[in-house]
Amino acid sequence: MAIQLSSELQVLLNDRKVYKALATVDEAGIPDVVLKHSIFTAEDGNIHYLELLESSRTNHNLVRAIWFDGTVSIAVTGPDKQRFQIKGRPVEVHITGPLFEKHYVEVRQSLGDVELSGVWVIEPLEVIDENISFRRKEEDVNRPYFRHLDRLAKTPHK
Amino acid sequence: MSVALKRTFQNELTLNEVVTQYPDIPRLVIIKTDVQRRGIHYTERALSVVDPEIHLVNDPAISELFGSRDGVEKPLPASLLLRDGTSILVSSTPLEENPYLVDLVDGRLALVDNGEFIEHVEFWRKPRFYDLKTSSGVPMRQIFSARPQRLSIVQSSYCHFWTDHKGCRFCDINNNNKKRNEDAKARPRIKPQDISETIREALKEPGRFTGICLTGGSVLAGNGLFDKEVDLYIETLQAIGENFATKKFPSQLISSAFNEKQLKRLYDETGLMSYTSDLEVLNEDKFNWICPGKADNVGYQEWKQRLIRSVDIFGKGHVATGIVGGVELAKPYGFISEDEALRSTLDEAESLAENGVTTIFVVWSPRPGSDFHEQQNASLDYYVRLASGLHQLRVKYGLTVDFDDYRRCGNHPDSDLARLI
Repeated sequence: MAIQLSSELQVLLNDRKVYKALATVDEAGIPDVVLKHSIFTAEDGNIHYLELLESSRTNHNLVRAIWFDGTVSIAVTGPDKQRFQIKGRPVEVHITGPLFEKHYVEVRQSLGDVELSGVWVIEPLEVIDENISFRRKEEDVNRPYFRHLDRLAKTPHK
Repeated sequence: MSVALKRTFQNELTLNEVVTQYPDIPRLVIIKTDVQRRGIHYTERALSVVDPEIHLVNDPAISELFGSRDGVEKPLPASLLLRDGTSILVSSTPLEENPYLVDLVDGRLALVDNGEFIEHVEFWRKPRFYDLKTSSGVPMRQIFSARPQRLSIVQSSYCHFWTDHKGCRFCDINNNNKKRNEDAKARPRIKPQDISETIREALKEPGRFTGICLTGGSVLAGNGLFDKEVDLYIETLQAIGENFATKKFPSQLISSAFNEKQLKRLYDETGLMSYTSDLEVLNEDKFNWICPGKADNVGYQEWKQRLIRSVDIFGKGHVATGIVGGVELAKPYGFISEDEALRSTLDEAESLAENGVTTIFVVWSPRPGSDFHEQQNASLDYYVRLASGLHQLRVKYGLTVDFDDYRRCGNHPDSDLARLI
C-alpha cells in the first residue's frame, strides 16, 4: 500500500545537496548501494529516480524489481541530523514520452553530454525515521530489555 | 459476435497458468507475448481517447511491410507500451480470433481479457517530424516511421521472391503492397536528400530515438544476386550518415543474406553497426518448404554460412537472424509437437550462437494476405519456452543484442529479456 511522504521528507528529497543512497538487490540477493543525486519526489507523491546508464547494476536491479515485484530502499540524510529510510516499489519506467524528454533535456543541461536511460517511478511503501535519538527512544519504550545494565546504574561508571 | 465462433484455447495453459509455471520469466513479458499471439481489439471507449495530434496512428501512407491481422487499414493506434518500457507490436485482430481488448479501466487504457483487468498500457507517441515535409514536398512520415525509440525505413515494400510465386508462406508483404497500390497510396521511391532531411529533423527531438532500422523486401536484381539491394542500402545509409558526427551510428539492417564482398561494402562505406538476415525458420526441411525463394536463390546452409561470415565483419554481438516463432509448426509439413519444434529450433540456434550469431524471434501472427492465413500460431507456453531458450543461449555464449532489444526494436519477447544481460 502506497504511503504519503511527509513534507519534511519531500523537501529533503528534492534538495540536490542532500545525500541519498539507493539500495537494490541483484538476482542472488547481493545488495548494491549507490549515492544518487537524481532522486526526487513527483507531484503524485511517487519518487522519481533518473537512471543515466542502461547497463548499470542499479538499472538491472530495478528492471528485475519491476518484473518480479521486488522492492528498493532509499536512505536520506539531512543537514540537521535527519535520517530517513524509504522502502519502495518500482512501478513504472519512462523510456520515452514527455516526462522522459523533460528530464533528458534537464539532465543534459545540468551534467553535460550524458545519457538518460529512464525515469523510474518508485511508489513509497514505508518510511522509517532512522534518526538515532528517535530510534533509541523508540527502542527503550518498545523493547526495554534491549539495553546494557550499566546504562541504568545509579552511579554511572565513567 | 457469437462466442461459439471464437478461437478457443481450451487445451492450452492460460496466461495466469503460464505466469505461475515460469516464475523466472517476467509477467509483463509473458503478457506482451500473449497479446502478440492473440492480437487485440480496441473498444470504442479506448478509441475515444486517441488523439492523432499526440499518438502514433496507422496511416496507409506510411510504408509498413506487413498488413494487419484483420486485413483492414484504419487509423488505429500503431501499438502499445507497457509500464516497464516494453513495447507490444500488435495489430487489430478479428473478434472471432479471441483477441485481448484494449479498453478504458478507471479512466486509463488497459488490456482486458474476458472482463479481467490485465495491465495498463499506453499508446505510442507521434514524433514531431511526422507533421513536416521535406524540401521536395514529401511528408517525412512517408520516409521514416517511428517506434517509441526507433526510426525505421522500408527501402522496398516489394519482395522479388514473390515474382516466381516463391515468397515466404507466412508473409504478406507483396499482397499488402499491392493493396496499398490499389488504394493509390503507393509511396514514390525515396530520394537520399529526403532521407537526410528527415533524419536531421528527427534528431532535433531530444532523447526521442536510440536507433535506426533499415529493411525491405529482397531485391534480386544487379550484376550479382542482391547487388541492387546492397546499392540501395548503401545509398540510404550514406544519406542518414550525413547527419552524424561519428562514422558509425546505432543502426540495424535487416536484409537478404549478402556475400562477404557485399557485407564488407556495407560496413566500410556506411555507418551501419549491425546486420540481421532472417532465416525465418531454423530447420532446413521446413525452410525449403516455407521459404522457397530463399531456398532456391541462396539455400539454407549458405544462408547460415553468410551469417556466420558476417560476424568477422560486424563483430560478435552485432549479427542476428530472425525467425518467425511458431511457423515451424505450420501444417501440413511442420513439426507435429511443440517439444520437438522447440528442441530442433534451439539446437540450431545454438549452432549459430557458437559462431557469434544471435537468434531473435517474432510471434507468428497469421495474416490474411499470406499463404498461411488460415493457420494458428503456437501456444503461449511454447513462446515462453522459446524466449527463455534463446535468452539462455545469449547468456551461455556471451552474446548481446543491444541493436535489437526492447528499446531499439520491441518486437521480440526473447530480446526483452536481454535487459538483464
